[in-house]
Amino acid sequence: MTGPAIQLEGVSFDYPRGPRALDGIDLQVATGELVAIVGQNGSGKSTLVRHVNGLLRPTSGSVAINGRPVGRRHVAELAREVGLAFQNPDRQIFAGKVRAEVAFGPRNLGRRGADLDAVVERALAIVGLTGDEDTNPYDLGFSRRKLLALASILAMETPIVILDEPTTGQDARGISRVQKIVADLSAAGLTVIAISHDMRFVAESFQRVVVMRAGRIVLDGAPQGVFAEEAWPTLASTFLEPPLAARVGARLGLGATPTEAALVSALAAQAPAR
Amino acid sequence: MRGWTGPLVVLAMVVATAAVARIGRSMVPFALAVIPLVASILLINTFLFPGATDVIVRIGPLTPTWTGLEAALQATLRVASFALSVAVFALTTPTDDLLADLERRGLGRRGIFVIGAAIGMIPRIAERASEITDSQRARGLDTEGSPVRRVRGVVPLAGPLIIGALSEVEERTMALEARAFSAPGRRTTLRQLPDSTSQRFVRWAAGLGAIVAVAASLAGFLPLP
Amino acid sequence: MSLQMRGATYAYAGTKATVLEGVDLDVEPGRVVAVVGPNESGKSTLCLVAAGLAPAAIGGRLSGSVVLDGQETATLKPYEAAQRCGILFQNPATQLSGTSATVWEELAFGPRNLGLSIEEVVERVEGAMTTLQIGGLAERDPHRLSGGQAQLVALASVVALRPSMLILDEPTSQLDPAGTRLVGDALARLAASGTAILLVEHKTGLVERVADQVVLLVGGRVETVGPAATVLADPQLDEFGVDPPPSARITRALAAAGHADRLAGLDLAALEAEPVVSGGLGGGA
Repeated sequence: MTGPAIQLEGVSFDYPRGPRALDGIDLQVATGELVAIVGQNGSGKSTLVRHVNGLLRPTSGSVAINGRPVGRRHVAELAREVGLAFQNPDRQIFAGKVRAEVAFGPRNLGRRGADLDAVVERALAIVGLTGDEDTNPYDLGFSRRKLLALASILAMETPIVILDEPTTGQDARGISRVQKIVADLSAAGLTVIAISHDMRFVAESFQRVVVMRAGRIVLDGAPQGVFAEEAWPTLASTFLEPPLAARVGARLGLGATPTEAALVSALAAQAPAR
Repeated sequence: MRGWTGPLVVLAMVVATAAVARIGRSMVPFALAVIPLVASILLINTFLFPGATDVIVRIGPLTPTWTGLEAALQATLRVASFALSVAVFALTTPTDDLLADLERRGLGRRGIFVIGAAIGMIPRIAERASEITDSQRARGLDTEGSPVRRVRGVVPLAGPLIIGALSEVEERTMALEARAFSAPGRRTTLRQLPDSTSQRFVRWAAGLGAIVAVAASLAGFLPLP
Repeated sequence: MSLQMRGATYAYAGTKATVLEGVDLDVEPGRVVAVVGPNESGKSTLCLVAAGLAPAAIGGRLSGSVVLDGQETATLKPYEAAQRCGILFQNPATQLSGTSATVWEELAFGPRNLGLSIEEVVERVEGAMTTLQIGGLAERDPHRLSGGQAQLVALASVVALRPSMLILDEPTSQLDPAGTRLVGDALARLAASGTAILLVEHKTGLVERVADQVVLLVGGRVETVGPAATVLADPQLDEFGVDPPPSARITRALAAAGHADRLAGLDLAALEAEPVVSGGLGGGA
């Protein structure tokens, strides 16, 4: 693979009836990076990721995946390189059995027979649905259906995976599971991007946070930087708040502590535990 | 002039109304929609009118007749006047006013709701359909390019669309119940539609006039339809 | 007492398994009772039963007693229950009637269904808009609002029926942080004005902010019930698949590492409720 996994240069996008949803976006994501995109609804997060797999084409600017320009390549072709899991699983589930649902993606990409079965089993194992192959998706609760939708994307085994709000509607167990999945995918070398509202999830699980407001990127860096006190006014301008750990750290004069773990280490560094 | 006066009078009224209401341009799609039907009427009647012998010109085995042509044109006028009068109604009556009036006249709240919600749902269903298609395309379903591919895209669209609509029904029902939808008695009407004496007079006069015209025509006094 | 449930046991129509088992629950006027628990523990069913919609509107078998404003729900028709208790679900879009061109008309939907006089309808609508502070949205198309705004409109359209109690089933689940804050603030205001509130939520941070009492529901049964601060600080929550609020997590993490003393005098819950940037939102970079 040549070049960064994802490259957007000067990308602007206008919806047909008016609002400018993206305004001159320059963004580079290296292969294997673990990136969270945050921002208010309407800030352009979903619009941005839809440019990565070709569902939307920029009004101006260019998009390149793994060094090759996206141009007018079909979405179905780009689906070999970019897997996008949507927020609402019920907008994609159409099969009567879990296995068939998960097999849809890889089958479209040309897998058959034993190869297809293997890929489906691997995906189900990652999300914890092994054993539910013959279950009707609507017999699973909402959070497990969401995991099913994720599995159907993972089964496509694309080098780039994008997750739209993976933790919304999940209970604590579901969120832990998603955190583990994200960590495992990254450890396996995939480029992982997630859109999320959950600042704790973002601070704990991602190396890089991109903050959007009104179609532009206003902050881009590691959680330590993005949730540090200097950045709080910018975050506030886009109606986001830093995780509580960061606020506690600032209050105690410990510098940037976006996660509980960082808070604990900062305290330990300052004065050893009694 | 039997056979011509009816549709011509109606068309004249439609055109006059359209001119006054300035909806001329919006009528174009309705007029275009009528073309396929009109074309088949013209062809079938002109060339295949049973029993006609006054041939216009012989083109090989085809024998268009004057009788056929006259019948074709009459039928075309009838279709056009019917379709365009419906168009005038649709274009000059806001749905909300129509529903409010039906309600005032006693069409129950369920009827109103079904009509209003069905109309309102169309753009939302379209939006949902496009979201579902996007999901499936992102999973490698190729819907761009040939028509065959586009058709194939329908199957993984139908399931989620229908299931999604159905599964929402329960929640929507409860949201309606939570707003006392099933309370007995008449709903309060908010809109007072302007209805002057002259408008009421015209409505009654038009209705009576239609009955009189039909009776007179049947009795042979009027050259209608 | 706005809501009193004793031994409520419920199974959906056509099924044998009970989804709720012997639930006791009280909600007083002006108090916010939050229900937490893992997914599929019966929280949504609890909402429908408490609101009098189950079994009246959706069938099923209910045993035990559910009393809304002094009357057993078994004797109430759905529209009678609606006037005692409003209910709000998580999806803003499905709660719109779909027949209103403006927010004002949407809010009038409920009062109109009751056949109230025009003056009364207007009063109810304006009252609801004032309570929820959405007067500015009156002329907007309800389908073109942000998630948070749409939920406020749905809430207002239920408040327009003047129920003494509100039940909300994960109202912020599909909202961004700004929307969550909008709804949370509205709930606090409603409780302050005397409405009884039953709130099902995953976001324990929000629960900590607005709830007086917390009920932990597991497998259709009440596992724990008590004051919010106590229940949310209980380490047992984790085992039951409930994410403790950030303040509790941090307190516990620091205690486990031997740094509990550093938090002396720092009220984490209060810190979380403070605005991040003084002077409110709006500074830009």
